[in-house]
Amino acid sequence: MTAIFAQDLTKRYGDLLAVDRLNLSIDNEIYGLLGPNGSGKTTTVSMLATLLAPTAGTAAVCGHDVMQEKQAVRDAISYVPQHMAVDIRLTGRENVDMFASLYGIRDRAERKQRVDDALAMMNLTERADDQVRTYSGGMYRRCELAQALVHDPQVMILDEPTVGLDVSSRRSVWEHIVRLKRAGMTILVTTHQMDEAERYCTRVGIFKKGVLTDEGAPQALTAQYRTVVVIRTEDGAPSRVPDGAQFVQCENGEAIFTADDGAAVLPQILAAYATEGKRVFSSLVRQPTLEDVYLMTIGPVSTDDGAFDRNNFRHVMNRSR
Amino acid sequence: MYRFIYYVQRDLRRWGRAPLNMFATMVMPAAWLLFMGLVMPVAYDGNYLDFVTPGILVMTVLTSGLAAGSSMMFDKELGYLNKFLALPAPRESILIGKIVFVTIRGLLQATVIMFIALLIGASVQSVWYYVGTCVILALFSVVIACIGATASLSLHDYDTYAAFQSMVSMPLYFFSTSLVPFSSMPEWMKCIAECNPLTYANDAIRALGTGDSPWLALAVLGVLATVMLLICGWKFRRATLN
Repeated sequence: MTAIFAQDLTKRYGDLLAVDRLNLSIDNEIYGLLGPNGSGKTTTVSMLATLLAPTAGTAAVCGHDVMQEKQAVRDAISYVPQHMAVDIRLTGRENVDMFASLYGIRDRAERKQRVDDALAMMNLTERADDQVRTYSGGMYRRCELAQALVHDPQVMILDEPTVGLDVSSRRSVWEHIVRLKRAGMTILVTTHQMDEAERYCTRVGIFKKGVLTDEGAPQALTAQYRTVVVIRTEDGAPSRVPDGAQFVQCENGEAIFTADDGAAVLPQILAAYATEGKRVFSSLVRQPTLEDVYLMTIGPVSTDDGAFDRNNFRHVMNRSR
Repeated sequence: MYRFIYYVQRDLRRWGRAPLNMFATMVMPAAWLLFMGLVMPVAYDGNYLDFVTPGILVMTVLTSGLAAGSSMMFDKELGYLNKFLALPAPRESILIGKIVFVTIRGLLQATVIMFIALLIGASVQSVWYYVGTCVILALFSVVIACIGATASLSLHDYDTYAAFQSMVSMPLYFFSTSLVPFSSMPEWMKCIAECNPLTYANDAIRALGTGDSPWLALAVLGVLATVMLLICGWKFRRATLN
């Protein structure tokens, strides 16, 4: 039995096709869903968490259909949404205990044991009786993870678990996620952090406009491309790219190319810049990363990234309550 | 469905640990009672405190009940609701938890008001009066909490709900028998007051105090509470099962 299975899973909002015939098979691994904002990641996890009804197709979690056996699905999973929702006036222990109760653990001694275990696993035992408002961002997230694993779920669904956290908190959260996977849990995670996905995910799937366009182990995906050439310039790409190189995109003063043999094609690229009178500050040939694969898959970065992000604003307001 | 208790416990803890919030909800209605009962110049045959105390009790439960909507909106906006909906606990227990919480809080406020009313000169009544008043206020609280929760599930954000709340609460209060006896109202106002659930809550409590039968008003409140619960439950299922 596959922990998470989807076949032709589709979600449509009026004319907008949010998820288009998605096929997934995930079992005993950390599977990362990658994609730009609005690409369908959260819609997908919402359908798997029984929060949204699919328009077409089927999906099952631990063998239970997400439409026909919602209750069984909810018993088997834990869902941690993108925006941290922990009651800040409750203590860490009370937050976790409440979830244990809501998961139906009625025996007081068993509940206490499970709450203690979950808090210990997330390294929150010492601060368990402090109100959550005194916690750091990383501790917030770990408290949410403790809530999520208190009933020993088979599948954990995490929507951007490290958003808004500093580097050390991110690492700590991921280390805990890896420990859960080693304990036999299947974990589906959405993230924008390519370096984290590359380091911690067993497999990743890249979403583009509701379609899963690429899928595989991070190492296998990066192995598709031999080298990346990075040119630091303020003048963009030359109008004529030499044979053997492929222009990917310009971002933050860097023009990125891929090539089978970057070192061999670099002089030709530099010559193309010189011919067109474009200035080059520096150049670099390196191995491709998952971020390169991601950028090549989804294409140029959206130009509305600077727009007001209501969800992020709501998240910040939640944190500052 | 017993799991609604955990949602009630959560809201009670949150309320109890916000000292200013708790102080304001407990003290402000008492301040209104002092203002209305002792300071406002009125021409009234009999003990005006006995008349106005039910009005203040109903106003308090009105405000408290509408807070079910703001609390629901708060959970919706900040992502708690989505998290709760993915839990195996019956989804309706979220809604029941909100209604029970605001009802408990409203009754705690009402107890303080009745105690202060006695201290400042309201007539001492039998135990059954106070028990009956609590029953009436609980029914009324269910009606109002359902209205608030239904509105919050239909509206998009907190600001809109706050506008709805202020648009609804004051007219409901002033076009009822909370401050003015039915007999002193102009005809057009009587028509509105007769359709107002606050009037029935006021009338039922006052009937208890004067020894008259409160059954008609109680029956109206009971029917209203049942109908509003059904509507609110239907709306909740529609809003959460996409």
